[in-house]
Amino acid sequence: MKKKLLSLLLCASMVSALVVGCGGNKNSDTEIKTETEEKEATTLTMWLPPLDQDTEGNFSKLLADWEEENNCKVEMEIIPWANYEERWATGVAGGETPDIGYMYVEMYPTYISSGLVMDLSDMVTSADYDEYVFLNRGEMMDGLYGVPIVTGVPFVLYYNQDILDSISETAPETWEDFARICEKATQDTDGDGKIDQYGYAVGLNSGDMSNLYILNSYIYSLLWQAGGDIYTDDLSEVAFNNEAGVEAIEFFKSLQPYMPENVMSISGTDAFSTIFAEGKAAFGVTRSSSSNETTFASDYPNLKNWDYVTSLKNVDYGTFGAADCLSVMTTSENPELALDLIKYITGSEFMTEYHKVAPGAPLTKSEPYVGDPKMERIVTEDRDKWRPLQAGPCGSEILENYAAHIQSVIEGKMDVKAALDESAKYGNEVLKEYYEENK
Amino acid sequence: MKKKKGLSVLTPYLYIAPISLILLTFVAGSLIIAICFSFTKYNIITPAQFNGLYNYQKLFRDSKLHLSIINTLKIAVIMVPLEVTFSTLFAILIRSRKDTLLGKLSKAAIFIPVLSSSAVVGTVWKAILNGGNPTVKTIFGIFGIDPTMLLGSSKAAIVTVAVLMVWKGMGYYMIITLSSLMSISDSYYEAARVDGANAWHLLTRITLPLLKPTIIMNTFLSSISAMQVFDMVYTMTGGGPSMSTTTLSMYAYQLTFKNAKSGYAMAVSNVLMVMILIIVLFQQRFLKRDASEI
Repeated sequence: MKKKLLSLLLCASMVSALVVGCGGNKNSDTEIKTETEEKEATTLTMWLPPLDQDTEGNFSKLLADWEEENNCKVEMEIIPWANYEERWATGVAGGETPDIGYMYVEMYPTYISSGLVMDLSDMVTSADYDEYVFLNRGEMMDGLYGVPIVTGVPFVLYYNQDILDSISETAPETWEDFARICEKATQDTDGDGKIDQYGYAVGLNSGDMSNLYILNSYIYSLLWQAGGDIYTDDLSEVAFNNEAGVEAIEFFKSLQPYMPENVMSISGTDAFSTIFAEGKAAFGVTRSSSSNETTFASDYPNLKNWDYVTSLKNVDYGTFGAADCLSVMTTSENPELALDLIKYITGSEFMTEYHKVAPGAPLTKSEPYVGDPKMERIVTEDRDKWRPLQAGPCGSEILENYAAHIQSVIEGKMDVKAALDESAKYGNEVLKEYYEENK
Repeated sequence: MKKKKGLSVLTPYLYIAPISLILLTFVAGSLIIAICFSFTKYNIITPAQFNGLYNYQKLFRDSKLHLSIINTLKIAVIMVPLEVTFSTLFAILIRSRKDTLLGKLSKAAIFIPVLSSSAVVGTVWKAILNGGNPTVKTIFGIFGIDPTMLLGSSKAAIVTVAVLMVWKGMGYYMIITLSSLMSISDSYYEAARVDGANAWHLLTRITLPLLKPTIIMNTFLSSISAMQVFDMVYTMTGGGPSMSTTTLSMYAYQLTFKNAKSGYAMAVSNVLMVMILIIVLFQQRFLKRDASEI
């Protein structure tokens, strides 16, 4: 009987623990809130991905003065890249939104059309546009929805100078130059009958950073250089299957003989690190960094003599350079203070110090360039050769599908025109549905 | 005395109350929520709006969904027979050498992948196949396979994923089969041997017939796990190349978190649920019939 009673008591306590655990404790919440309110006037929350080895630590140090001056506590949540969008989606679904959020272009359309991101157009001045040199890159969907914080690090075309010297070539400027050098560089150097030096180190595996990485690395540049774009100017339809779009992908396909045989198996990052950086390819693409000269020397000891071309030229210049922004959420109770914090973070005082530990392009006119000299031209003479994406509706859906069709082309399952038309048909159906639902 | 009777009436309910509450909240609750939201336009961010049968009508014209269903079935068709056959085979072999060092080592070696995280297994295998390691190349070369091409073609990628799922999950079914084998009395085998039965007769006339319920259960459990493949695909191929490995779970994930179409994703998940439900119903029917035969 004792055992029975004991087990019943245990069961009852488990049930009550479950019920209590799932329930809220409003009283204690209120008590804590009241105490906090008395001690601290304002709290701003900010969601960020890791931007360096210790983003929270580095930011906290540099924000101390601002927090004291504004009697404000900044609470940061550093969300890993791998589940960044999931955290946003689940957080917002649970009624939890930060005052300030770090967002990239693909995220904006959904959050802007849901009314969650504040249009800052009326809150910034022409002096701000003058000082914050990339501010116009936060303009999208007829408003200013963010202040760029990570930009100036476009995907550029790196080349192995030693390989180019060995085939008596210099850095390419046009598509013709590029194709010719790729062809000459693709060789069997040890005479075993197998190609062991490639023209272009490309990797199209989807598993690394999703299909979008394929577009970021290899496709947007060609599309823009051919004079094309993803959407039409009014964002009503996709445009990547027009003449320019077809020309871009046909050119990419024409380079396939100079790519590694396992182009479909390896990821873009692996293609760069294990093929180009090991001296086995003339060209490779990856996201640039103002500290590349330093990091390449330690990360890729076999890559001795390298340089880069920001963009080739066909009809135009162009390569993808993200403009990830800090945005104020419409749910913020202190939007002015939140914008002030964003301006402080992206401003000269903060960034001059921050870029010493995490090198990046100067975001303001008054911030000095502190990166490696070799990389400086990306943000000076080549500044107009790279740009962010158009922020259009259903971005991820359309772009993932576009990338999957490009994989079909490289696999030889579809020809270029048919693949792009099929992908465009899907994209236009998705857009039509979006506009009908959001009339 | 009355009080005692009242307590004993309540006792069984109190015993099952904790697990019932958990199941009701997290299983039945989420199922009901998924069904309700599947009739809405919902992007997680803004409140759901009822849109009737729109999501279900869309299921019929969504070519990506159809491809995901085909891919899921392809994985199941490759995975289930291999998983069940090999797990049964290994269980029988290990049972016959259960007390030897080789038997113990083999059991551990086959079971270890079950304990590993699918995401880690996927990442490690991707690195092995794409790493260009000469030893790996030589081993695969014996069979005329270039390992670096296994994840790079639409046809090979799905087979590769399914085979690696078999490698990962086989140990689980082997342990179930092994425990079933242990319950078969040695006296059956001894009697058969006295009657002149050879090893083949013992296997086909005693072992396999007595393992039938376990094999049926393993088949259905393996089918259900094949329907839910996600982690390995996510880490190894990301659903590519050309969407050739995008499974139903993967597609529902993309719809929810990448495309902000949670309402429709829940309709897609319900398709998956119906498919699994059909498998479970078949399983129950088969097991019942099998039990009555025995």
